[in-house]
Amino acid sequence: MARAIVRGISVSTGFAIGKAVFVNRRHHSDIPRHAVAEAQAEAEVERLRQAFSGVETELEGARDRIPPELSEHRHILESHLMILKDPKLCGAAVKLVRELRVNAEWALEKAVAEVEKAFGLLDDMYIRERLQDVRVMSDRVMARLLGTVRELLTVDGRVIIMAHDLTPADTVMLEVGKIMGFATAQGGKTSHTGIMARTLGIPALVGAGDLEEAVHDGDLVIIDGVGGRVLVDPDEDELTEFNELASQFEDYQRRIYRGCQLPAETSDGYRVQVLANIELIEEVAAVLDNGGEGIGLYRTEYSYLNRTDLPGEDELADKYADLAAIMSPRKVIFRTLDLGADKFIASFGALDEANPAMGLRAIRFCMQHPDLFKTQLKAVARASAYGNVSLMFPMISGLREVRRAKAKLREAQEELRAEGKRYNPDMPVGIMVELPAAVMMASMLAEEVDFFSIGTNDLIQYSLGIDRTNAHVSYLYQPLHPAVLRSIKHVVDAAHQAGIEASLCGEVASDPFCVPILMGMQVDCISLSPQAIPGIKRIIRQARMSECKALLRDVLACRTVNKINRLVRDTIFHKYPEELSFFASLLDNDDLGG
Amino acid sequence: MTETSGISGPGDGAGEACVRQVLVANQLGLHARPASQIAREAQAFAADISLVAQGQSVDAKSILDVLTLAAGPGSTLEIHARGADAEAAVDRISQLFAARFGEK
Repeated sequence: MARAIVRGISVSTGFAIGKAVFVNRRHHSDIPRHAVAEAQAEAEVERLRQAFSGVETELEGARDRIPPELSEHRHILESHLMILKDPKLCGAAVKLVRELRVNAEWALEKAVAEVEKAFGLLDDMYIRERLQDVRVMSDRVMARLLGTVRELLTVDGRVIIMAHDLTPADTVMLEVGKIMGFATAQGGKTSHTGIMARTLGIPALVGAGDLEEAVHDGDLVIIDGVGGRVLVDPDEDELTEFNELASQFEDYQRRIYRGCQLPAETSDGYRVQVLANIELIEEVAAVLDNGGEGIGLYRTEYSYLNRTDLPGEDELADKYADLAAIMSPRKVIFRTLDLGADKFIASFGALDEANPAMGLRAIRFCMQHPDLFKTQLKAVARASAYGNVSLMFPMISGLREVRRAKAKLREAQEELRAEGKRYNPDMPVGIMVELPAAVMMASMLAEEVDFFSIGTNDLIQYSLGIDRTNAHVSYLYQPLHPAVLRSIKHVVDAAHQAGIEASLCGEVASDPFCVPILMGMQVDCISLSPQAIPGIKRIIRQARMSECKALLRDVLACRTVNKINRLVRDTIFHKYPEELSFFASLLDNDDLGG
Repeated sequence: MTETSGISGPGDGAGEACVRQVLVANQLGLHARPASQIAREAQAFAADISLVAQGQSVDAKSILDVLTLAAGPGSTLEIHARGADAEAAVDRISQLFAARFGEK
C-alpha cells in the first residue's frame, strides 16, 4: 500500500509516475525564528538582500521569455516585480533585522504580516486580492532564505510538479518536456493548471488539500488522473499496476487519436456535430488537431480578467476576427460575457452578494452595464462578417430578457452600419438554456432564436438545488437524475418542433457514459473540451442510433437515479469496456472499481 | 485636466517641500497598474514623496502603500514631496494622474 493517498479534483486525465518536486510550498511551521547577535545582524541583512535580488533576477528572466501572445502574464509579472522591490517588504524586513535583531526569515514573516494587516482593513475586494501576489512573492524569497529553492531548469529525470497553487509566473518558468504531471493543493476546475495540463496532455489534480503535509520533495508519487488521487510512495504492486495502466492509456489514446478526424457518425448513419469549448484563441490548434468540427462555446471572459482596464471594441474585434478567420468555414459560437458568480472584473469588483450563483451575473450583469455589453456585441458583429460566427446569451430566463438582449444587438449592428463597418445581418442568435425557467419556456423561447445550447453544468445545479463545489451536498450532483434527463429531452424536443438546432455543452458532453443517452435524444451537436473530442467521437462512431434510443427509453422508465446509473454503467461496460478504466465519469463512481 | 489647484512653496521643515492636489480621474481608481506606475516613477526621485487622502498618508514609492490607499475614481488626494527634486517629482506624478494612467 502507498504510504498515503491524497484526493483531489482531476482536471486532466491520464496516469503519471515520477518524483515529486515542489515549486512553491507554503511555509508555515518550519520557519526558523531566533535572535541574532549584533555582529551578525549585517550578515542577516545581506542574506535578505541576496534572497530578494535572486528572485528579482529570476522574475526578470521569466518576464523576458514570455511570448508576446501572453501579454496578460507579462503584466502580472511586472506588478509582481514592483511588489518585490517594495520598501514595505525588503526595506521593512531589513529594518526589523536591525531593530529587533531577528533572523532574516522571521523578519520577512513579520514584514508580510504587517502588509497583510494593512490590506485586511480594506473594503475593496480587488485590492484585497493583491495580497495573494504579496504572498506569492514573499514565499519565493522565503524559499531562497531556507535554501529550498529549486532550479527547475536543472531538474533531472521525469518529475511531477507539486505546488500550493500554480501561477502564470510559475508556469512560464517550467521546462515542460520533463514534467509528467501536476498536483496542487489549491485551485478548482477552471484553474490555470488545468488548461496547462490539458494542453500538454499530462494528468493534473487540483484542490488536493493535504498535498503539502503528505508529500515530501523527492517522494515517488503516482498521479491517478482518472481516480483523482495522488499515491505517495507506492508499493511494487501499485507501481506495476499503474505502469501497465499508463501504457494501456497511451495505446488507447493513440488509437482514438488516429480516428479523430473522421466524422462523428453512428454505424447506422446518424450524424452528430462535435464542437469544442475554448477559452483562449491559442486552443484552436488543439481543437483542429483533435478533430473538433467548430467552436461550440467560446468563453469570452478571459479578455476581461487579470487586467484593471476594459478591453476596447477594436481590441476585441481583432481578437474575435482572428478566431473566426482561423476557424472558417467551421462555425464559432460566441457566448456573451458570463461574469459574476465566480468571475469578476477588476473595474467593477465583486459584489457583496449572499448568493452570487443566483445574483447579478451573465446576461443580467451585461444588461446593467449596457456600454460594456454593446462594446462586446459590436466586436462580435464585426467578426460575423466572416460568415461563420454565431452569438448566444447566457442565463436567459424568459422572453423579455431575450428580446431585450436582441434589441441591444440590433442597436450595435445599427451603429456599425452607420460607421460603415461590415457585419453579417443574419448572424444566428441563440440562448443558453441553463435555468429551469428556460426549460419550461422552451417552446416559446424557440420562436425567438435560431438555436438552443443547453448548459448542463448550471442546469443540473439549478434544477437539483446543488452547489457542487459544496462538499456536503456534492453527492447529490447527479447528471442523470430523472428530472435532469427529462429537462434536457424537453428542450431538445421543443427545439426540433420549432425547427431549430439543439446543442449541448457542459461536462456531460464529454462523459462517455452520458453521451449515448444524449444521442438517443437526438441532440444535434455537443460541445466539449478539445482534448475530450477523440474519445467521444470514438464512442459515437461505435454506437448505433437504435441502441441509443433503446437505452434512452429504458433510462426514462427508471424512477431513481441509482437505477439509471446502474443501467447506464452495465450498458456502457458491455459496449465500451476501455472507457471504464480511462475516464472518470460524472456518475457516482463508488462501485465503478476505479 | 485633472489638476484642480496648485500650491507650491516652502514647507515648515528643512529642505524644499511641495504639495499639490490631484483628482483620480481614471475609470478604475488606484488599482494595481496605476499604483505600480506611481511607485515606479516615484522611485526615480530622491525626494520623500507621499500621497495623502482622508488623513491617511502613504509612501508613494511603495506599490503596496499606494494600494492600501484604495483611492476610488473621483476622489481627490494630495501629493507631498520633500527634498532636492521635490518639485520635479510632484510634476511627474501629477502628470500620471492627468493622463489617467494611460487609460482610455
